Amino acid sequence: MKTQADLSIEFCGVRFENPFCLSSSPVGNHAEMCARAYDAGWSGIVYKTLGLEKSFKVVIPSPRLNALNVFDKRFIGLQNAEQITDRPIKDNIKDLVWLKKNYPQKVLISSIMGFEDKDWAELAKMSEDAGADILELNFSCPQMAHKTAGHRTGQDFHAVEAFTEIVKKSCKIPVIAKMTPNITDMIPVALAAKRGGADAISAINTIRAITDIDINNFTPLPNIHGHSSPTGFSGPSVKPVAMRFVSELYNSKAINLPVSAIGGIETWIDALHFLLLGATNLQVTTGIMRYGYRIVEDMIEGLSDYMIERNIQSLTQIIGKAAQKIVDPSEFNTRFQVVSVVDEAKCIGCGQCYISCQDGANQAMKFDKQSRKASVDEERCVGCMLCKLVCPVWDCITHKEVDTAKVRHAAIF
Amino acid sequence: MKIPQKSFNMRKAFDPDKITQFQSMRESLTLQSTIKESNRCLLCFDAPCSDGCPAGTDPGKFIRQIKFYNYKGAARTIRNNNILGSVCAFVCPVEKLCEKACSIKALEDPINISGLQRFAIEYGKRFQIEPLRKSKKDQGKIAVIGCGPAGMGCASELAKMDYDVTIFEREDKAGGVPKWNIPEFRLPVEAIAYDVENLLSMGVNIRLNTSVENNEAISMLFAEGYEAIFISTGLSVAFKIDLFDNYINAVDYIAFLRTVKFDREKIDLKNKNVAVIGGGSVAIDSAVSAKACGAGKVYLISLEHLDELPADRDEIELARKMNITFKAGCQINEVVANEKTITGLKGTEVEWIEPGNFSPTNARKIEGTSFGINIDFVVQAIGTKPGYEIVRFKKSLKTKGKGIVEVSDFFETNIEGVFAGGDVVNAGSTVVQAVGEGKKAALGIDIYLKNRGKKA
Repeated sequence: MKTQADLSIEFCGVRFENPFCLSSSPVGNHAEMCARAYDAGWSGIVYKTLGLEKSFKVVIPSPRLNALNVFDKRFIGLQNAEQITDRPIKDNIKDLVWLKKNYPQKVLISSIMGFEDKDWAELAKMSEDAGADILELNFSCPQMAHKTAGHRTGQDFHAVEAFTEIVKKSCKIPVIAKMTPNITDMIPVALAAKRGGADAISAINTIRAITDIDINNFTPLPNIHGHSSPTGFSGPSVKPVAMRFVSELYNSKAINLPVSAIGGIETWIDALHFLLLGATNLQVTTGIMRYGYRIVEDMIEGLSDYMIERNIQSLTQIIGKAAQKIVDPSEFNTRFQVVSVVDEAKCIGCGQCYISCQDGANQAMKFDKQSRKASVDEERCVGCMLCKLVCPVWDCITHKEVDTAKVRHAAIF
Repeated sequence: MKIPQKSFNMRKAFDPDKITQFQSMRESLTLQSTIKESNRCLLCFDAPCSDGCPAGTDPGKFIRQIKFYNYKGAARTIRNNNILGSVCAFVCPVEKLCEKACSIKALEDPINISGLQRFAIEYGKRFQIEPLRKSKKDQGKIAVIGCGPAGMGCASELAKMDYDVTIFEREDKAGGVPKWNIPEFRLPVEAIAYDVENLLSMGVNIRLNTSVENNEAISMLFAEGYEAIFISTGLSVAFKIDLFDNYINAVDYIAFLRTVKFDREKIDLKNKNVAVIGGGSVAIDSAVSAKACGAGKVYLISLEHLDELPADRDEIELARKMNITFKAGCQINEVVANEKTITGLKGTEVEWIEPGNFSPTNARKIEGTSFGINIDFVVQAIGTKPGYEIVRFKKSLKTKGKGIVEVSDFFETNIEGVFAGGDVVNAGSTVVQAVGEGKKAALGIDIYLKNRGKKA
């Protein structure tokens, strides 16, 4: 019996043993870290973004991180004031050379950010010469301490097109354009990158955000010597936004480029979600910062088992399957509605469904104070399923479909 | 015979060293634990935990307040609802009350409600929430006899309704049983002090060293202008066993626990063997106190078998951890003495003649099970009854025998305007039960006075 599915993918003409890569960040700061990531099972790494210190000297502020906590749930998102690499370019190039030499079967992606036109050309050439298989253009860092770099570039269609074009002319390896989500519509920027010659799109970079404020001194966090800034937010909290952008990129006929997905991936199920929405390649940072490189083992094993259980030979068979189900809300079929069903045997009598339905829905939940059991008034239930979402017993409340052509339903009057 | 193994309610294993130093075995929750614990709460509709509290402390509300970072609000809820809120946070048998009703038990361990209550009280104290509202004292004078949990519960509720309340207390300090008889390892002294302080801030007058126990007491109080009287004198006389009469080293638990708490230097139990007769909470408190005083062997001798002991599960666990020797299902039949000093006890195992009837007259010796133990000190913890003041109050006060006062649903006695509650009515229950009865009696008093006004 097969125990390991074929997880390999082809992205930008390059073979990856699995879709899992490090995204450009502190998790790929230098060769030693990247080597350990490769050893753990990651198929590729996007090395921490290179820049030229002769154009701009990077000094990263501290403290540079802050986590989003909601009640007792810690680290559901991470805010960072990180910059691109602060190491000398020659040290980083030396590391790229070493990595390619020692890990020829693994994929090496060099992320670059120029501060002037010629920087882009120079960095592209240096990376290619060092052995990088692919380039990723960082148009999206939301907190670069440089007024014309980072996400400001990513919001400027002309700059994106122009820089992509410069890079494409300077090297032969494929080029990914990394998008910022700090924009209403990503498609025009992605199209600009495509016009400049990009071979693929990666999304999303982090979202500009404020995660917390010290209420004693009125300073948002991280408190960088008395000041703060809305900087890059990542992790599980941003996954829903990332999934939206990835599906839009995949569903855009005009773009028609492979997508590398980034945003809150920690488990094989997260990974699968992005594959189903059209991503071919996947990148991770925050999950690694939180749990370490080892999480890839569970991604590989979990995704492999999923494929074997369903007899999926290649990931190409499932990529984009969920994106195809995405329509405009105007196209929903509203003839079929649902009503909640409470499994009385599983109900533990907390009444959370009752409170939420009373104050946040359609007052359709009944609660018997004597028996402490919830039940549904089907005449009033609009089928929003808020009750299921708040129920502490995850499988207690379900729903059943009602054909509104035959049965009266509270959602239609 | 097996000690109940189910895990008990002191979430963290307590440190026996703390007990021997008479320090509280229930630690405060840290802020982190508090956040975690409060977020396990399901915030039930019509919260069963709140229904489960006899004093109406409303844990369902104060846990919600804690969860939403409204810590002072939580402290206010506890204090407003239960004048003994900080005492109860230490001594409540929560597993039989609020936590027993906790909905999440269907899925996981119940919420550590007493831990959260301790946190909220501690927070309110540390950040100095405003004093409780003072009574305007424009609703008539009420006398409360006995400043224990029931009296305090009644007085606080009456003060809230703007009555002018005076509590008569024969001791030199307020607090009743929690003050005198609950060991410090179960209840830190600051807890009762804080609750008394809160009661005083409501404008309740406490007259200490004031005994009210003569035939004319009730008539005199009415004559002095008190419009209603609440009797909360508790159970102050311990039962004794005839066998131990006249021996100098046999005491009752009330005297013993009080001495251990307030005159520890007067009692030398170092390496001595102690026998505690009884199987309830106070017997365990006595046995553990003896151990904490440095006793050698401590025996807990009860007619009840291990699975029949009236003590709470966590108390039994505590005794077990403190190496108390259980002689459950045993009876002492003979004292070995050197003149007036007991030196040993002789007894046998017993069985019940009629199963389920835990009365000494229903116990039968089992042949061939006799034992003898060397004993230097005996503590009798077999129950209590109301003090003699009850019979002295007024001959016509109706009792159920043993001095237990009979009351209506509104806690009114057979004498008009005279109410009673707490141990003197329920024959001995929890602190939280006494507070609840005091509060209900206050409502009874209010209704009585308002109706009386209407009739007139």
